[in-house]
This record gives sequence, structure tokens and C-alpha cells, in this order.
Amino acid sequence: MASNSGLMAKAGNKSVRVGADGTAWIEGYRCEDCGAVMAVPTMACRACASRVPPAPYRSAQTGKLYTWSIVHRSYPGVAVPFVSAIVDLDGGLSFKGTLKGVAPEALKAGLPVRLVFDDAGGTSDADGSPYVGFHFVAGDAQ
Amino acid sequence: MSDAYIVGAGMIPFGRYPDRTYFQLAADATLMALDDCGLSIKDVGAVYASSTFNAASMLGQKMMQQIGQTGVQIVNVSNACASGATAVREAYVAIKSGLYDVVLAVGAEKNPRGMLAGSPVDGPPPEGLFGSVSMPALFAEAGMVHANAYGTTLAQFAQVAVKNHHHATMNPKAAYRKETPLEEVMASEMIAYPLTKLMCSANVDGAAALIMVSEKKARELGLGRAVRLRGSALTSDPFEPRNPDMLDPNSVTRLAVAQAYEMAGMGPEDLDLVELHDCFATAEILHYENLGLCGEGEAGRFIDSGATALGGSIPVNVSGGLLSKGHPIGATGVANMVEIIDQLRGEAGARQVAGARIGLTHVLGFGVGAAAGVHIFEKA
Ligand SMILES: [Zn+2]
Repeated sequence: MASNSGLMAKAGNKSVRVGADGTAWIEGYRCEDCGAVMAVPTMACRACASRVPPAPYRSAQTGKLYTWSIVHRSYPGVAVPFVSAIVDLDGGLSFKGTLKGVAPEALKAGLPVRLVFDDAGGTSDADGSPYVGFHFVAGDAQ
Repeated sequence: MSDAYIVGAGMIPFGRYPDRTYFQLAADATLMALDDCGLSIKDVGAVYASSTFNAASMLGQKMMQQIGQTGVQIVNVSNACASGATAVREAYVAIKSGLYDVVLAVGAEKNPRGMLAGSPVDGPPPEGLFGSVSMPALFAEAGMVHANAYGTTLAQFAQVAVKNHHHATMNPKAAYRKETPLEEVMASEMIAYPLTKLMCSANVDGAAALIMVSEKKARELGLGRAVRLRGSALTSDPFEPRNPDMLDPNSVTRLAVAQAYEMAGMGPEDLDLVELHDCFATAEILHYENLGLCGEGEAGRFIDSGATALGGSIPVNVSGGLLSKGHPIGATGVANMVEIIDQLRGEAGARQVAGARIGLTHVLGFGVGAAAGVHIFEKA
């Protein structure tokens, strides 16, 4: 995901990773002692306090809708309404993201969804480097 | 170890105070609490001052500059919406330790205006791109977990606002004292489904203070209006797999409640009333179950039954709650206790819970982590 300017894209979220070839993925961390997963690197396990730092792994991009809210009022400049969703990814790890393309009446717990990388709303940092973000859509096909 | 007693309680009417500073508000509430028990600031051995936004500015010291600089220990605390309960918890520890006979816990806040946001993050602003970081959305999502699991309805969530707004009409210190029928609550602006504007807490300024004393001092002053602090618990959020993307109001609350019930040697069946953290209507539904007031999954039917309204079996938020009394963040936890103390003293006027002897307060603080404070009071 290199930009027109040739600048490398940057991760737009604490859990997005962008490889040298521009491919993006979600990184999780799993404790080797208790199996707990977390979205950010920590010095010890948040769950069992094991001093072996949880090891990075590449997360699945498919999952199921856990809960959501339809946001109608937000901060100035934010387009509403949108669906703010919490998704449990397959293999562990839960993320909050905007769920697109699903009608309110079709929202239900357990709905299969998948994560799609995007341009984080077209935003870029001070040097012009674009960001890589993500959102969710319905469906479980890769 | 000495028991701890509340002998003085003070709270200013919640609202907007454009011409007062937050430390003047703290001083107002402190003087009210001192006058309530006939003590002077010179009698106070330690001060615990709470504010979410101003603790770092040495709120306690600024307050003492207004009412008398006696040179005592002052601890300024900040713990999100649990800040006030944290100050009281520290006051409790100070009395139980035997180091002090008279201490002050005071909370004061001038809230920023507008919707309260989460902490800023690196990268693009997350709102709308990575879901929502607004507090209404967080509590809407937590409420939808309950709705998905148990079929809790929008009307049941809205009924919390109807009830608490009704209670506030009987509280002269509540910021908003207006009846809001169910249709009005449900028809008000949708903020984050299922939360309408009237289901979100009132953003106001306020201050509240308690004078806590040892048993020896309480007997010296007379136990006539004294209230005994039977249980005090303060917890942080234990690990939950969905955190921090999904803030969990439940586990941190359940941990605190279990500790407070055990310390007090009682359970939910012993309570006469509860002031809990109804920052949003969905939260009150969740906390009915978290506090053990009803069974798992029953909270929707519980509010429908009228059990938690004034006159019901376990009235909740008869002060009007955060929804209508108001939520000046750092003062909230102390103010909840002032309501319980007024009630146990039989001094709550039109909203008096008949024969109230035991009351529980609960607050929940959310930031990048969570804190919960639960306190149980009994008429001495
Ligand atoms: Zn572990």
C-alpha cells in the first residue's frame, strides 16, 4: 500500500502491521503459559502475569459480531450514522471497528464478518505518509 | 480496629457554576459537611480530595487556602468516575488504621462541556474509522450485549431514565427536575442506539464532602445522626479477553461488590436502597445484576416490575441518579454517599425511603482501564 508519493504506508491502529511489500495484517500476542491473547505487546501476560512476554502471531481476519451500537451523534466532522462493532476474530482477539454495508435490522450477535484493510479515511501523517486502517463487512469469504 | 462513622455530609446543588472555581465548590461542600456535625477544619486530621480533571492541580491544597491552612496531610486522588469513592476509601483506611480520629473526603468537579471522549491515540482519529470511542457508544455496546443475550428492550432501558428523572423531581439539589414520560425519553435525539439523549447522564458541576470519624470520636459527638461504614471496596479491572476494545463495566463491579458484601457480612437482600452508577441507562440495567439485586438476565423485567422505583422493594437512585441529579465526575462518588446518608438519617424529604437502615453506593470509572468503588452504610 505505497502511496502515489512513494511514501510507505503506516499502521493506522495499534494492531495493524504493514510489511515491506505493503501488505497489511493484524498482529496479536498469545501467552505461551495460559493461552490468553491480547492486541498489544506487553512485558508480561496481562492474564496470568507470566514473565514470558506473549508471542506475536498473525491473526485471522474472519470472525463473528459480538455487540454493536449505531452511532447517531459524534464529534464534529464525523459522518453519522455508522455502526460501531465489537468483533471476536477467529482464533481469539476482539476488535472494535466500523461495520459497513449491513442494514440495522440485519445486525445480530454471531453474524459472520470479516476484516478489510482500508486507507483509514484517506488520512496521512505530517510527512504525507498514508495510514492503513480497517473496517468490517458481512460475510466469511476471504 | 475502630469502626468508621460518617458524622457530617454536605453537597452543593448540582448545576453550572460559571462564577465559581472547582476549589471554591469543594470548599462550599466541605463547610457544609463540617457545619453538619459541628466540627471545624481545625479538627480534621487528614484530607482526601478527589477530582478527575483537577486532582493534579492540588485541589485539596487550593481548597484549604479558601477555608484554613492547618498544615495537615492532603492526598489528591484521580481515578476516573471512581475518584470520589477512591477518596472515601482512603479516608476509611486512615480511620481504620487508627492514625486519625477525624478525616475529610471531598470531591469537586467543573466538567468540560460537550461529549466526553476517550484518550487521544497515535495515528488517525479513530472515531468513525475504527468504530466509536465515545462514552455513549461504549455503554450502548455494553447494553447491547445484555439485549442480545436476554432480549432486553429499548423501552426497558428507557424506563431507567423515566424512573430516575421522576425521582429527581423530589430532589431540590438535582440539576434536572423534570418528568420525562417513556414516549419522551424514546423520542429524544438518538445518540448511540439504544441510548437517546435523555438516557445519558447530565454533564454538570458539583461538589460533595463527608466527615468520617473513629468510633471513639463518634461516641463523643453523639451517635444520633451517625452512619456506620460497614463495607468499603475499591477494585481495578481484572483481565478480560475483549479488553480494552470492549470496555467491561461488569467484572470490575462484581469484584468490588463481592468484597463489600463480605466485609459488611451481608448481601443484597439486606439493602434498603442503592445509589449506583447510572452514567447511561444501559449501565443501570447491567448493575442490577452486577450488584445481585436480581438474577442473571432478569434486569429488564426487574425495572418493569417497579422494584427499583421509590416505593418498590429496593429503590435505586432515588436521588435522580447521574441521569438527572448530574454527574460532576470527581464529585459523583461522594455525592452518592451523601444521598444514602440523608436517607439513613431520615432526612431525605419527599424522596425518603421509608425505614431505610442500610444503603449501598456504587461507582464505576472508565478510562484506558477501569475502577469500581462499592460502599455499604448502616444507620448507627
Ligand atoms: Zn498468560
